[in-house]
Amino acid sequence: MTIFLQLVASGVAVGMIYAAIAFGYQLTFATSKTLNFGQGEALAMGALFGLTLVPFTGYWLMIPLVLVFGFGLGAVVERLGVRPAIAIKSEYGWIMATIALGIIFKNVAENVWGRDDLPFPSPLPDVPYEIGGVRILPMEMLIVAGALLMMLAVEVFNRKSIWGKAVVATSNDIDAAGLMGINTKRVITLSYSISAMTAAFAGVLVAPVTLTGATMGSVLALKAFAVAIIGGLESGLGVIVGGLILGVAETLTGFYISTGYKDVPGLILLLVVLSIRPVGLFGKAVIKKV
Amino acid sequence: MLEVQGLHAGYGLVEVLHGLTFQVPKGQVVTLIGSNGAGKTTTMRALSGMIRPRSGTIRLNGKDIAGLESHDVAREGLAHSPEGRRVFPTLSVEDNLTLGAFPRLTGSRPKGDISADRERAFTLFPRLKERRNQLAGTLSGGEQQMLAMGRALMLKPEILLLDEPSMGLAPKLVEEVFRIIRQLKEEKVTMLLVEQFAMAALGVADHAYVLENGRIRFQGPAAQLKNDPAVKAAYLGGH
Repeated sequence: MTIFLQLVASGVAVGMIYAAIAFGYQLTFATSKTLNFGQGEALAMGALFGLTLVPFTGYWLMIPLVLVFGFGLGAVVERLGVRPAIAIKSEYGWIMATIALGIIFKNVAENVWGRDDLPFPSPLPDVPYEIGGVRILPMEMLIVAGALLMMLAVEVFNRKSIWGKAVVATSNDIDAAGLMGINTKRVITLSYSISAMTAAFAGVLVAPVTLTGATMGSVLALKAFAVAIIGGLESGLGVIVGGLILGVAETLTGFYISTGYKDVPGLILLLVVLSIRPVGLFGKAVIKKV
Repeated sequence: MLEVQGLHAGYGLVEVLHGLTFQVPKGQVVTLIGSNGAGKTTTMRALSGMIRPRSGTIRLNGKDIAGLESHDVAREGLAHSPEGRRVFPTLSVEDNLTLGAFPRLTGSRPKGDISADRERAFTLFPRLKERRNQLAGTLSGGEQQMLAMGRALMLKPEILLLDEPSMGLAPKLVEEVFRIIRQLKEEKVTMLLVEQFAMAALGVADHAYVLENGRIRFQGPAAQLKNDPAVKAAYLGGH
């Protein structure tokens, strides 16, 4: 039983990272019905940028700088990749454009920081806490707390600030938002910025427990995509539940079956959800008019 | 004062408006009437920048706003309460009203007292007051229409465009909508009204234009058009 709880605890930390990235997918999908398929690269760039800063600033002061960096990176992706595709009403152009920008970012990262995976200094002690026989690393707690805090902060921004309300209005009805005097193009850029910012933040949260490198985000982003589909692209709660399900399923499979099959349950879950509930576990059914 | 000159607009390759010229003088109510497909809603959309006019000028207090994007048109003081209400369903009634004042809150129009204007909207539409914290998506059709009008008024507009405010409403609510339009008229709100109930629209308006296939067919003082046999036969039907 202790082993089981131990696996659940480790799975929760991984799951919250998936949830944080998946949350980023939701943000841009809400405003523009597009996604940044370079989220994994935004995560890696954030972590690598953070790694470079840490010797000068320490871990905690580095975080706000990484947030700013991620914010800027998201704006670049939107302006270069997404806006032109939306402007010519290309239904799929943004997919290729965001993947392409992701590859470019990865190459840039490899040239700047090298191809080797680098260790990221942990800001917290490596001695695990023991709660009822379950050992939890302080860094794992930070991941869970950090990811939840970030999602909460975005929620509060959306509900309380006028720009956040403009984001929600744009997600509800982009034409009506325009009539209110809201520059919806700018709102879409903002959603990309916040989305990449969450990815960059997830990068510096996860880096101390994994390694840092240009490719560190690819698999995470792919799994987070599965989480976004499982949880529903329009449901904030869905990604947390979806992330936790996937994270825990992975650690359980890794232990009880084989680490070789670790990635299988998530993908099976994805296929099952797609075939019985295509809008996601928490999604609302939408009928697309054609 | 809104002055439209030679307005051409449409969708894709299809031109719907073939050169409209009309005016809405300050403090007056002007109505556009005509059968379905005549181009009434298209005119509204072209005025507010939801679609880009092909040619022609749209002067609001002397400034040409033709070709501006809708958010820039709103900043010039044109408020458009669109066909189908289009309230923001996942936001509260209060937030919907606040967003109507977005240009005032972000510095592109004079700020004034926004919470006082919100309270004023609640006086004008008492039903909204009880539901101020409710999500707009849970309101009835009539309440959503009140909210759409209240939201547009929050801009403190130079001109208010009302597109089919009575569409789909029960007769009692239609009366209510017209009562409010009359009240706004008394307060000297400049309005352009598009309505399916042509008789009711002519009853409240100062001046009317009759649209047919994207062209203005008749125009004149509303009271006069109301009694014009040709207009009556062609457009006013049983209403």
